[in-house]
Amino acid sequence: MDRRNFVAGTAAAAAALAIRPSVAQSVYPDHAITIINPFPPGGATDVVTRPLAAVLEPIVKQPVVIETKAGAAGAVGTQVAANAKPDGYTLLSHITSISAHSEVDKLFGRPLKFTRADFIPLARFVADPCVLLVNDKQPYKTLKELVDDAKKRPDEIIYSSSGLYGALHIPTALFAKAAGGLKLRHLPTNGGGPALTAFLGNNAQVLVSSVSASLAQIKAGKARPLALFGAQRSKALPDVPTMKELGYDVEYYLWVGMFAPKGTPANVVTYLRDALKKAANTDQFKAAIANLGQDLAYLDQPDFAKFWDADAKRIEAAVNEIGRVQG
Amino acid sequence: MESTLISLLHGFSVALQPDNLWYAFIGCLVGTLVGVLPGIGPLSGISILLPVTFGLNATQAVIMLAGIYYGSQYGGSTTSILMRIPGEASSVMTCIDGNAMAKKGRAGAALCIAAVGSWIAGTFGIIMLTLIAPPLATIALRFGPPEYTALLVLGLIFLAYMSSTSLVRTLLMACIGLMLGMIGIDNMTGHFRYSFGLAELGDGIGIVPVAVGLFGLGEILATPSHKVVGEVIAPKLRELLPSRQEWREASMPIARGSVLGFIIGIIPGSAHIISSFLSYALEKRISKRPEEFGKGAVAGVAGPEAANNSASTGAFVPMLALGIPTGPITAVLIGALMIHGVPAGPQLVSDHPDVFWGFVASMYVGNLMLLALNLPLVGLFVSLLRIPYAYLYPLIIMFCVIGVYEVSHSIVDVWIMLIMGVFGYALRKFNFDPAPLVLGLVIAPIFEQSLRQSLIMSNGNYLIFFSRPISLGLVIVSIGLLALSALAFVLNRKDWRTKLAEAEVGKTP
Repeated sequence: MDRRNFVAGTAAAAAALAIRPSVAQSVYPDHAITIINPFPPGGATDVVTRPLAAVLEPIVKQPVVIETKAGAAGAVGTQVAANAKPDGYTLLSHITSISAHSEVDKLFGRPLKFTRADFIPLARFVADPCVLLVNDKQPYKTLKELVDDAKKRPDEIIYSSSGLYGALHIPTALFAKAAGGLKLRHLPTNGGGPALTAFLGNNAQVLVSSVSASLAQIKAGKARPLALFGAQRSKALPDVPTMKELGYDVEYYLWVGMFAPKGTPANVVTYLRDALKKAANTDQFKAAIANLGQDLAYLDQPDFAKFWDADAKRIEAAVNEIGRVQG
Repeated sequence: MESTLISLLHGFSVALQPDNLWYAFIGCLVGTLVGVLPGIGPLSGISILLPVTFGLNATQAVIMLAGIYYGSQYGGSTTSILMRIPGEASSVMTCIDGNAMAKKGRAGAALCIAAVGSWIAGTFGIIMLTLIAPPLATIALRFGPPEYTALLVLGLIFLAYMSSTSLVRTLLMACIGLMLGMIGIDNMTGHFRYSFGLAELGDGIGIVPVAVGLFGLGEILATPSHKVVGEVIAPKLRELLPSRQEWREASMPIARGSVLGFIIGIIPGSAHIISSFLSYALEKRISKRPEEFGKGAVAGVAGPEAANNSASTGAFVPMLALGIPTGPITAVLIGALMIHGVPAGPQLVSDHPDVFWGFVASMYVGNLMLLALNLPLVGLFVSLLRIPYAYLYPLIIMFCVIGVYEVSHSIVDVWIMLIMGVFGYALRKFNFDPAPLVLGLVIAPIFEQSLRQSLIMSNGNYLIFFSRPISLGLVIVSIGLLALSALAFVLNRKDWRTKLAEAEVGKTP
């Protein structure tokens, strides 16, 4: 490359860069939208966000790119999204545990990397109730039998989870508290898959999992559902009573929602809400969600914000209930 | 047995339909590319192509996506052998002797052996998968934290055989690796350790940036300081194929690697990474000429390459038979099946025989395709080495940076790779072998987690490792190996490592 080419190239590149802002002011979106997935591929966020992005593309008439930024139980990607330019081109797909990050940091006295206030909720797509399972080697047929035995043998029955303060640890802690400070022993692993493996191999006896992630194991008789964490019974498991029916006041869902960084312009937020609503209600997306063993549980911003506030209170309480673990 | 054969024939009738053949071919082709290009790994390759499969049926989707996965295992050895860049953790060991062979002008032979070894191991894995998947899967489930701990202890003992330098140097490197592996969130208490406020360090230091830095970048940085002899690695066409002698040396390691890899592959978790390390150490342990390892031993390429391929097939056993993911890639495949309305679980075989048997049969076909695809490419790949270093090396550095960034889109990873590159250069100058460091880094987090999980399960009682049959067996093997070494020490027998250490002392004035 000689100097003349270099100068010409630089000028062209500069010109191209200069053109951008003026177009961006006219119509949103004028280039690709990036959705950050803060969890490893194959997880709950991934399997919901991929079909969503596929139906969103023809609606916004721009590419919708999923960028996986996994790490530190979702904190890495969430932090990137919180610090992204709030122009509507960077969105965040996250699950229930988004409310836990800052609460855990507070617990350890760490500087807060981001809080719930850093995000504008856009829409919720699914809300899969969790279910309390025991493996097929256990004698318990009802939740009462488990609770009674756990009271007799405190700290001996083991439950596995996807990780400390993770999406599967929190509901178990909520249940243990509601059952009058039940003492169960916690076996943390590093993900939903390893937690299920430990449970099926009888290295843990109890597991709280989402219905969709465990339905195949339940149907095969490897896992026995004792109680559901939803407000109503699940269509997939009509015979399983809810926690509330059994007298435990707990509710917990593994939901997936979309967020924009704080400061995203109001017109962009309105546009995105509208686009996400259309995308969520396409037959293609509904079919994909049904295949996952879930029902569409779409909530638009006002309802989602209300739901998120209530949900965050439950989760913050659970994190504080677990407290700092000695070890 | 008979019903298995009938089911498999049915599977072939599914897999050999033109459509399905086509998707298997696309998967294998993309997989080879993904494996060869250091830029993208199989995980990102599969995730990116997942939406493309939404228009296909479940069988076609899983055939194509799995093709990417096992295809990438074939391609992964290419950059290791030619350029000493491990595309992923499992090809670290191929770097050492594969690249040494390339320097001796046997790049073509090394690539051929890797491809044929992969094919044999892959096919062996599928045969085992076809015949004994369900009973094997139940064994996999019995592999809990205590068994894992015992396996990793065995891995650590094998460390001594990993390296081509003296024992002291090997252990020093391993210690650095183990200490680097301590970085990150403590999974049991939630504390950040040595993270310096960087959330990116929360999950610890990645293996790929360290391996690429130490091997790839370190090698390149070291090149200008010694005289480069260009013509050594531009072989003639007839020299591309391995000699009869090389085939002979490769055959037993391939067989052992296939069996070892498959057994380790079915264990849930990240054990498959250590399959190639263990195979290398095993080959070196039983070799009559262990001093040749690191200087281009054929067994050092054949064993690990076979092991990592049959491990990747073994990983399908728990996924298909039980519906549990053995690692991130099988997790994505399970996700893909779910999106297509096929729940992966213990009832996959009975509920969706078309998907299961079609998928198994397609792997036989796919492995053949990969062999046909890879062997002719050997000549092309080797001619890459004819590119003058002045042009080749900047390109390699660029690929290293892109590749490492692409793994988790993290700039911190790129910095880690660059720092490790400089460190790798220093190690080369002082004649340290980086392989034990990488193994230490691989083992440390898994070892710590499974040890502490075991102790949670037993409420702090160490007897848990002796009360479970599989872990007891592994512990006994470990003790036996240590006893053998101690015996040699007591009898004051000099083995190759002592001689090596003496030679090193003699070298330095």
